[in-house]
Amino acid sequence: MIGWSEFPYFASVTALVALVGAVAATRERTRRMATVALWLATAVMGLFIVLLWIGLERPPMRTMGETRLWYSFCLLVSGAFTFQRWNYRWIPSFATMLSTVFMVVNILKPEIHDATLMPALQSAWFVPHVSIYMFSYALLGCATMLAVYGVVAHSDMDRAVERLLYGGIAFFTVGMLTGALWAKQAWGEYWSWDAKESWAAATWFLYLLAIHLYRLNAKSRKTICAVLVVAFLSLQMCWYGVNYLPTAKTSVHTYNK
Amino acid sequence: MKISVSRYTLTSLLLAVAVVVAGLVVGELNLEIFAFPVNVILMALWLVMIVELYRRRQSVVVARYLLSSQATIFSLVISVALTIWAGLQAKPATTNFTFVVALLFVMTQVAMVTLRGWRNGGGVRWLFLFSHLGLLLALSAGVWGAPDSAVLRMKVGAEAVCEAVDVAGHKRYLDYDITLSNYKVDYYDNGTPSEYRADVVVADKSVVLRVNEPYSVSYGEDIYLVSFDMADKARPCVLQIVRQPWRGVMVAGVVMLIVSAVLMFLRGPKR
Repeated sequence: MIGWSEFPYFASVTALVALVGAVAATRERTRRMATVALWLATAVMGLFIVLLWIGLERPPMRTMGETRLWYSFCLLVSGAFTFQRWNYRWIPSFATMLSTVFMVVNILKPEIHDATLMPALQSAWFVPHVSIYMFSYALLGCATMLAVYGVVAHSDMDRAVERLLYGGIAFFTVGMLTGALWAKQAWGEYWSWDAKESWAAATWFLYLLAIHLYRLNAKSRKTICAVLVVAFLSLQMCWYGVNYLPTAKTSVHTYNK
Repeated sequence: MKISVSRYTLTSLLLAVAVVVAGLVVGELNLEIFAFPVNVILMALWLVMIVELYRRRQSVVVARYLLSSQATIFSLVISVALTIWAGLQAKPATTNFTFVVALLFVMTQVAMVTLRGWRNGGGVRWLFLFSHLGLLLALSAGVWGAPDSAVLRMKVGAEAVCEAVDVAGHKRYLDYDITLSNYKVDYYDNGTPSEYRADVVVADKSVVLRVNEPYSVSYGEDIYLVSFDMADKARPCVLQIVRQPWRGVMVAGVVMLIVSAVLMFLRGPKR
C-alpha cells in the first residue's frame, strides 16, 4: 500500500526528471527531450496521487498537505502544457522550482495524517472544486513569476502573462462558483462572507484589475506587475493565510484543525 | 468639453470619503423596510436611471464618468477594498451603509458598461456580455434580494413544531409542521463523525435529511440538517430553513459567469 511514507521517493524522482526537462527546455536543440521529461515528471507525481487516493480510500484533497500535493502536480501540468503549446522557455524552470518548493514543504511539514472525511466534505462538488482551484493557483503563480521576470529583465512578456492570466482567472472563476453552488447545497447560502470566501473574492478582483489594466492599455508594466504580486499574496492569504487569522475559529472553511 | 484625469480621480476620492463618513453616521441599514415590493420598485427605478444616464451619456458628466476607464479601475479598486475588509472580519457588516452604497456604485458602473457593450453590438462580444451581465445578476440577487431572504433555525423532536427563530432572535412561524421520527450519527474508528442522518416528517411527507442533502419544501425554501443537540432529549435535531426567493437570479448569474469562464479559457486574450 502506497502512503505518505513513500512520498520522498516519488518527489525526488519527480523533481530530478522535471529539472532535466527545465534545463533542456532552455535550448531549442533539446526541445523534444524537454517535453518528454516534463510530462514524465508530471506522470510520476500523478501516479503517486492515484496510489495515495487508493490507499486513503478517499480523495486526497482535504488536508493542507494534500492541497499542496495537488498544487505541485498542477504546476507541472501547466508548465509542461504551456511549454509544449507556446514554447515559453522559462516556464518549465519556474514551474519546476515552485513545484519542488511545495514538495519539500510537504516532506518537512507533513500536515497530512488523517484518513477521515467529515460529512460536510462528502459531496460530488468536492473533487472539482479543489482540483480546479489548485490548477488555477498554478497558472496564476506562473503568470506572476513571468510578469516579475519581464519587469526585472526588461523583456516583453505581455502575451505570455496575459495568456496564463486568462487561463488562471477562468479556472479561478469556476472554482469559486462551484464553491458557491456547493455552499448552497451544504450550508444554505451561495455566499456568506466567510473569511476564505472574502479573500477568494479579493484575489479574483485583483486579477481582474490586472486584466483590465492590460485591456485598457495602461502604460506602466510595473503597475500591472505590482498588482499581480499583491494578487498573488492575496491568493496565499485565501489558500492558507486565513487559517492564521484570529477569525479562523469562526470560519467554516478550516478542516485540518 | 474634456475632463482631465485628475478631476475624475479627485471627485472619486472625495465621493469615497463622503460615503465612508456617511456610513459612520448612518451605520447599519434596517433591511426589513426594503422587503418586497420596496426592493423591486427601487431596483426598477435604478434600472430606469441607468438607461436614462446611458441615453444622455454625451451631455451628463456622471454618465461619461461612469463609462470612463478611470471608473472601471475605481470600481475594481472598491471591490478589492470591500472584499479585503470583509476578509479581516469574522462577521463583516454587509448591511452597513458604506458597504451597500459602494456595492451599488460598482453595480451601476458595471451596468453602464454592460449596456454600452450590448449597444455597441456589431460583432456581439459574447465573452464581455456574459461575464459582465453574469456578475451583475449575481450581485443583484445578493443586494436586491437580501431583504427577502431569511435563515431560520429550529429544534425538532417527536412532537410536531412550526416555530423557528431568525438570525436576529425573533420568533417566526412556518406554515407547515416538522416532526422528527428517527436520527442516527455514525462515527469513524477514531471517533470523528462520518454521517449525520435525520428522518423527519415535513407537512405529512417523510423526508431523509443529511449534510449536503437538503430538502426543498418549495421554490426558494429549503430545509437543512445542521447538527444534533444530544443534551436536549425532547428536541435533539437542529434544522435550518433558508428562504431565498431570488435564487433563480443568482443561478442565472452563476451559469452566465461559468459560460464566460469557459469562453475565456478557450479563446484566450485577443489583441
